[in-house]
Amino acid sequence: MSAPLAPPGRCAHAAASPVRVRPPRALARAALAAASALALAAAPAGCRDGSTLRVFAASSLTESFTEIGRDFESAHPDVTVEFVFAGSQTLKTQIEHGARADFFASADTALTAALHRAGLLETPRRFAQNALVIVAPHDEMRIREPADLAAPGVSVVLAGPGVPAGRYASDALGRMEASGRFGDGFAARVRANVVSEEPNVRAVLAKVALGEADAGIVYLTDAAAAGAKVRTITIPRDWAVATEYAVGICRRAPHPSAARAFVDHLLGPEGRARLLEHRFEVP
Amino acid sequence: MSDRDAARRPPPSRSPSVRAPAARRDMPPGVGALAYVLPVYIALPLLALPFATTPRALAEHLVSAAALRALWLSLATTVAATAITAVLGAPLAYVLARRPVRGRAAIDTLVDLPITIPPVVAGVALLLVFGRHGLLGRSFELAGIHVPFTTAAVVMAQVFVASPFFVKAARAGFETVAPGLEDAARTLGASPWRVFWTVTVPLARPALAAGIVLAWARALSEFGATMMFAGNLPGRTQTLTLAVMSAMESDTDTAVALSVLSIAIAAGALVGARRFACSRGLPF
Repeated sequence: MSAPLAPPGRCAHAAASPVRVRPPRALARAALAAASALALAAAPAGCRDGSTLRVFAASSLTESFTEIGRDFESAHPDVTVEFVFAGSQTLKTQIEHGARADFFASADTALTAALHRAGLLETPRRFAQNALVIVAPHDEMRIREPADLAAPGVSVVLAGPGVPAGRYASDALGRMEASGRFGDGFAARVRANVVSEEPNVRAVLAKVALGEADAGIVYLTDAAAAGAKVRTITIPRDWAVATEYAVGICRRAPHPSAARAFVDHLLGPEGRARLLEHRFEVP
Repeated sequence: MSDRDAARRPPPSRSPSVRAPAARRDMPPGVGALAYVLPVYIALPLLALPFATTPRALAEHLVSAAALRALWLSLATTVAATAITAVLGAPLAYVLARRPVRGRAAIDTLVDLPITIPPVVAGVALLLVFGRHGLLGRSFELAGIHVPFTTAAVVMAQVFVASPFFVKAARAGFETVAPGLEDAARTLGASPWRVFWTVTVPLARPALAAGIVLAWARALSEFGATMMFAGNLPGRTQTLTLAVMSAMESDTDTAVALSVLSIAIAAGALVGARRFACSRGLPF
């Protein structure tokens, strides 16, 4: 008879005693899962050849930058462009913690300015502007104008307060309230309707496009990217805040000359044309 | 003690590991050193977190209203999720351990799947079932029930990802209970429920306890499915892990403080469970 129970007080033995909760096959399976997880985690860190340009870009730039990257690659066959799209503030934090990027395209000039002050970016350059709009699911008719955001029972999704799109949305709501057209406490009433603060603007768009929320505040370019899945309600210019994009080359960029070439391409006629196609405004 | 011993069948099919642990000198060279790589690798990040802050800064960030709300929400939802998992998981584990169910292998795989499915995918899948336009969500919506973006959705996401850990452990536990003992109790006139509560559950208790701790820990660490299915709103759906993510966007000090808190809770639970098991001579 094997004695599965360890004597009381001998805990080291208890831990190693033959009675374990998991059968060995489960352990083997868990080990396999752990090994594959490690392999997956390690994969993106693995270095490729020296000519892979790594670009950190705001998630609202996903479509436009992917196309601009393709244009750039066909003009520079020796360079491969690899994009990391995420909320600008997430990318900023990653750069502060030593992420190796060649340049950073932010949806908020304040973030690039802060990195520049910290000595991590070269002088940032503005390259595009975007407008803020309200989106609603295509089959949901409760939201017809900006005032409906504050209607009782409406579910609103915004980007988080740390995300540029979230901060712009807050600013816009504040200006709408200040205009006096929407009644006292408009911003607070909209806030009370907020059901989620998403980590980036594309997550806001996704929740609305899926129909899980009645409305969200995103960039005009995001609404354009979602096509027929969402209806777009414009926020009149008087209340919309200027959303400005800036790009800066990292001081410790692994490929500074390729990064410079890309930024020149972005600011040149081809890049500007692509941005315009995606409904950005260019300076 | 000894009658407890007898009540437990030897664990099934574990032939190789019954041998006594090999003495150190028998080990192939290098194994001893390699054995310590993983513990160091795990310990370093865990130690780095508390060293990235000071006790004072830690206290300052942790008493903030947002941190306390996230902590409270995490504790409440994980306890609820673990309770639901135990109530629904124990019968399933018992049936799997005792009855020759048809398609048992299929059920087994199905119940284990949430361990291997990426949590974000689980969240999307839950949305497609319980979301406004989902399979069941559409009817829910007509009944005036809206699931996504609620605290209930947080609990549902946690139950989905954490239940396999309990079911696996509980099933293994029930399998170690000798059916003869249950039969004996029954012949003495005990009702099936009484047999279950007074014979089966006490004998399987170590495994059930281990399953509860594992499931609770998995629920506490849940992030992806919650983000997708329940969203992120302080006080309603923002659990500790989501609060860490949100804080990382603007205020890394708070993120570090919340991370230290999470590690403290997880380590405390693990040590507590071990102590409890040891004090009763139970393996864990």
